Amino acid sequence: MGGTSETISSTFIEYAIFIVLLPMLAFPIILFLGHIFNGNQTWIKSAKEGGLIALPIMVASFILSMLLITEFIGAGTGSHHIGNWLSFGWISEDGMTINEKVFGVGIYIDHVTVMLLFIASFLCMLINIFSIGYMNTDPVNDNRNHRFYAEFVLFCSGMLGMVLADSFLWLFIFWELMGLCSYLLIGFYYEKPSAAYAAKKAFLTTRVGDVFLVIGLVMLWNLFDSLDYAVVFNEDLIAQVDPGQLQLALGMMFIGAVGKSAQFPLHVWLPDAMEGPTPVSALIHAATMVNAGLYLVARMFPFFGAESMHGELVDLAFIIAAIGGITAVMAAAIAFVQDDLKKVLAYSTMSQLAYIFTGLGAALWLANTLDWHTDDKAHGIVVVAFGAALFHLFNHAMAKGMLFMASGSVIHEMHHAHHDMHHHDDHGDDHHDDHHDDHFDAQSMENMGGLASKMPITATAMLVGSASIMGLPLIGGFWSKEGIIANAWRVALEDPRFFLPAACVLIGAAMTGFYMSRMWLKTFAGKPKTEVAANVHEHTPWIPIPLVTLTFVSLSSVILAGMMFTHWAGEPNGGYAFFGEKGMLKGLIYEFEHVFVNPDAFFFVLTYVAIFIGAIVGPGLAMALYGGSLKDGEKAKPWMQPIINLSSRVNAKRGFDNSAWANSGLSNALKERLYFDKWYDAAMLKLVAGFANISAAFDRNVVDGTIKTIESTSQKISTQVRRLTTGSARDYIMMAALGVLVIYLLLEVMI
Amino acid sequence: MSSHNGFDSAMIETLGPELTVFVGLLLIMIVPNLGNGTFRIPGTSIRLPWLFGGTRFKAVASPRLPGLLAVLTMALALFQVVWYLLDATSADGQDIIAGGILIFKVNMFSRIFEAIFFAALLLAAIASLDRLPTGPQKSDDIDVLFNNRRQADFYILMLTSALGMSVVALAQDLFVLFVGLELASFSTYVLVAFHKESRAGSEGGAKYFIVGSVASAVGLYGLSMLYLWAGSLQFDVLATTWAEKGATSLSMMALGFVLVGFAFKISAAPFHFAAPDAYSGANSPVAGVLATASKAMGMLGLMRVLLIITVPEANADGSAVWIGLLGVLAAVTMTWGNIAALGSENPKRMLAYSSVAHAGYMLAALTAIGAWNWGLVDNAGDAMDVVVAALLFHMFVLVFFKLGAFLVLGVLEMEGGASRLSSLAGLGKREPLLAVAMFLFMISLAGVPPMAGFLSKLLVIMGIVEVATGTGSLSSIGDAHWVWWLALLMVINSAISMFYYLRIGVVMYFHEPEEGRRGPLASGASIRVAIALCAIGTVAFGLVGGELIDLCRDAAESLR
Repeated sequence: MGGTSETISSTFIEYAIFIVLLPMLAFPIILFLGHIFNGNQTWIKSAKEGGLIALPIMVASFILSMLLITEFIGAGTGSHHIGNWLSFGWISEDGMTINEKVFGVGIYIDHVTVMLLFIASFLCMLINIFSIGYMNTDPVNDNRNHRFYAEFVLFCSGMLGMVLADSFLWLFIFWELMGLCSYLLIGFYYEKPSAAYAAKKAFLTTRVGDVFLVIGLVMLWNLFDSLDYAVVFNEDLIAQVDPGQLQLALGMMFIGAVGKSAQFPLHVWLPDAMEGPTPVSALIHAATMVNAGLYLVARMFPFFGAESMHGELVDLAFIIAAIGGITAVMAAAIAFVQDDLKKVLAYSTMSQLAYIFTGLGAALWLANTLDWHTDDKAHGIVVVAFGAALFHLFNHAMAKGMLFMASGSVIHEMHHAHHDMHHHDDHGDDHHDDHHDDHFDAQSMENMGGLASKMPITATAMLVGSASIMGLPLIGGFWSKEGIIANAWRVALEDPRFFLPAACVLIGAAMTGFYMSRMWLKTFAGKPKTEVAANVHEHTPWIPIPLVTLTFVSLSSVILAGMMFTHWAGEPNGGYAFFGEKGMLKGLIYEFEHVFVNPDAFFFVLTYVAIFIGAIVGPGLAMALYGGSLKDGEKAKPWMQPIINLSSRVNAKRGFDNSAWANSGLSNALKERLYFDKWYDAAMLKLVAGFANISAAFDRNVVDGTIKTIESTSQKISTQVRRLTTGSARDYIMMAALGVLVIYLLLEVMI
Repeated sequence: MSSHNGFDSAMIETLGPELTVFVGLLLIMIVPNLGNGTFRIPGTSIRLPWLFGGTRFKAVASPRLPGLLAVLTMALALFQVVWYLLDATSADGQDIIAGGILIFKVNMFSRIFEAIFFAALLLAAIASLDRLPTGPQKSDDIDVLFNNRRQADFYILMLTSALGMSVVALAQDLFVLFVGLELASFSTYVLVAFHKESRAGSEGGAKYFIVGSVASAVGLYGLSMLYLWAGSLQFDVLATTWAEKGATSLSMMALGFVLVGFAFKISAAPFHFAAPDAYSGANSPVAGVLATASKAMGMLGLMRVLLIITVPEANADGSAVWIGLLGVLAAVTMTWGNIAALGSENPKRMLAYSSVAHAGYMLAALTAIGAWNWGLVDNAGDAMDVVVAALLFHMFVLVFFKLGAFLVLGVLEMEGGASRLSSLAGLGKREPLLAVAMFLFMISLAGVPPMAGFLSKLLVIMGIVEVATGTGSLSSIGDAHWVWWLALLMVINSAISMFYYLRIGVVMYFHEPEEGRRGPLASGASIRVAIALCAIGTVAFGLVGGELIDLCRDAAESLR
């Protein structure tokens, strides 16, 4: 990072373009083949309607990504490489070349790239596996899965391309590609009005942010005459830029990130995006789309870290953290009252992304104010703060990907159980649209309960994922969340404005504990609330593979934490080895010290407060309200049974009636998502529609009126002129003679 | 410079394309008539095979033969011309001298015009291969028309007009030029009226002939006056005399009359009245030839007379004597054409008026050349070359989209008439490819990038502005030469013309087809091939017109 910019002499980076190109090329191929072979049995059974074409592509992308990542890590920190596949010169009027690289295609690799590249390629591959199980066994998707897989690979290529891009221009192009794909995939069930509406909403809401992003990019171009990272991250060039203008440009770009990552106040699209098939939810919420906004903010680090910008950009850092803090609490509160399994996860995503924004805001504040270029201690603080935010991005992506897939598994099996119960003697082919006909809601937690014994793999995955999101000690998100909280407070001690986000993330930790526990308990603990839930079985192939994989990833997150922190805290050219001076062991020790024996007493206490409220208060409350033992005679797996037993005991002992709360005004407000959608609709109707009416009237009367007047006048003249063409040759000759006369007169005048 | 005196082998080589057309003409006359006819030596009973008449040989009896011969001839001639253009190394040409008088001059300038003529006639010949009959008529008429004789007549007339046009292109003597002009004109008069069964055809042909004869007569009168004034009709002699004597009353009147003769050919207002009748009466490929090749021929005559004989810098301020006259003519012509086209409900008449408007644009370019020595221009010769090259380019690419538009109407004619705008309705659904081609032609005529029509219009406007404003060293627009206003008028006129060109697109894509006109159109492979060639040319020269512009530039230099 910072000023280092060596190039890794490498082999795999030459092929990095294929990480993006392969899925992009698969898009038309799958669509085309699907169009031709639609309904063909071989196509359905052997190719899984394109799923088994997409899978090798995504695996290849993942392997290439891993090769690139290991190569990058082996080469040392702070490297990047730019390859120009296309470049044009632009010659100015005086014959000198004014801009040699107007349009280049390249790969830019640094720590942020590596992190996001791994997340995106790994999760895209796993979600692909999951999709084959989820999409292809649902009759409602029959004969249109090729469309799903085609759009899926295009979406993946959009994310991978955005991560690997070497300029803000390409970032924006792929950003928009993702926007398009999100529209297509959220609206996959376009025949459902709610899905079509959700797709539109997602597209238009993010478009609001994108407009600002474009404005920000134009401002940035105006400042640097380029959008290439190699140029705009150059410290010498940054030094020549007016900090106020740069802050404004970055602020505009941040609004784009707010839209894409669904933060307050542009968050309204995300819960509705659940209308898409569950793999799409996993894709949008874990692997790709929402991470794009975070990536964009993380990309701004060099501006904040530049020496010439020292202390100049703190306002923007605060805004980033504040937006994060507000969203964290707001989304968590709304998640309290959601009964739809996927909606809880949606708000949880919003809330966790907000944590990352807060962490990034704090890290950027530190980078902007501390003298980290020269001071080793300051360097460590900045690097750990930034690393914590990014590491939370990683943990959240893994956990949320797993949670969505697990929720998909639950919903899928609920569907099947429901279907088997109600239609098992109906062998006709006409039960395709039973999804739309009956009113059984397979996504509502009110219909579930006690699934822990029936779906052990899913329940375990859900448990680990929830624990990771909550930040239970030693599991996944724990390692990063405490870092975000600690750093938010570290900044708050220096800059009192930061008390707002710092307090928010601390409260949010407890809220997270509550709603995640509530979700797990309502789904998996207690007695089955419906007949359907009592008859669920876990038997769909393909689905367990990603669940098991991600469970292990989340559990072993601490090892990755060790790798991460070594890498982040390492000297610029420290080299990397698994063991040794700066090795993983050192990193692990560093991480453990940081968390458990922090020399700074204040942060030590704070960390424990965070752990306590996240791991004890929230879940405890949830257990008291929603705990309960399974149906008699059924037992969950040994690692889940104690939790269920505990919840049952807490519920019996401390359980209380929450109906007063459930009917309170606040609860209703939360159920209505704090009325944001209503306000927006009203504002749109009044402002936009009013303005539209005015401009329509202007267009009709003034613009069209003018043009129509001109048109009708010229038509009238035309009629008169054509009347001269009488059709009689005599008249023609007379006109010609007249012409000769005029010519003669004109010539006479001229002599 | 090489010159040929009399008929020798080198001259055959020099005049290759023209001789090809001539030989082709003879072949079309002879070959379809070959048969087993015999000739009896008088007084004896010996019959000698005579090869003419009798029962025609099977091989030559096909009614398609004359058409194929004509296409081959035109293709070969065009190939030779293009070969010459690409191969030419110097701006100097070869002189053909007969009887001590310089008759022809073969150089880039004349050859590029021949390329325009031959290209237009070749496309028209291809398009006519399977559609001689036009207009609404019964199918048994088609059988009548598809007889060998009539086919041969049609293509003979096409080739004679090609021959006449080449003579105009090469002529270095006004009288030779006049002979060529009349040869081409008479062929086209007959071609317009060729479809004698239809009232519109014969009426249009007759009107075209009458008005054209009057114009020719006036032009010939002008020529005789010029002869009276200079004692010769040789270009060199006329130019020298003009430089010596200057513009006198007699010479100016003669010039005016000669101008009228050519103004009819390019259908400039107010000599254009017969054109819409002729275009709508003639079958579409012939109308296309009138709007492109015939018009280019008139422009060629104008350029010879105005730029060679009356040396442009005749006035005190370095502009030509005729500049004011031509400016008025240009302004009136382009505006008249566009306004008349606005209300036309007959697509062929609309195209005719649009071609009047294009004549106005060309005249505007010529007017600008009249101001070539304007004080602000650094290098007068260069400025003139720029405008002439733009003009040549414009006429060349016009062949593709103007003729192409007529050919699309021709396909509709085969179905039963294209005299109403509504006959194009629904073409987008009935024949998407044809509709796309038509739309390309329309936006090219309107001057929308990246079509060839855009590039040519842009070059013409830029050329005019360059001449008018010099190297841009003027302080206000008032300092520029007044021809600048012609460029502005051109832009305004282009904007007006958008309306009727794009209306075709609206009709094709958004209107429901007429009753009884549904489904794909009548087949006709060759006309579709010609349309495809036109469409390719329209797009290709718009995207990569650089080579052609360079050629035109060389040709323009060889004019001086």
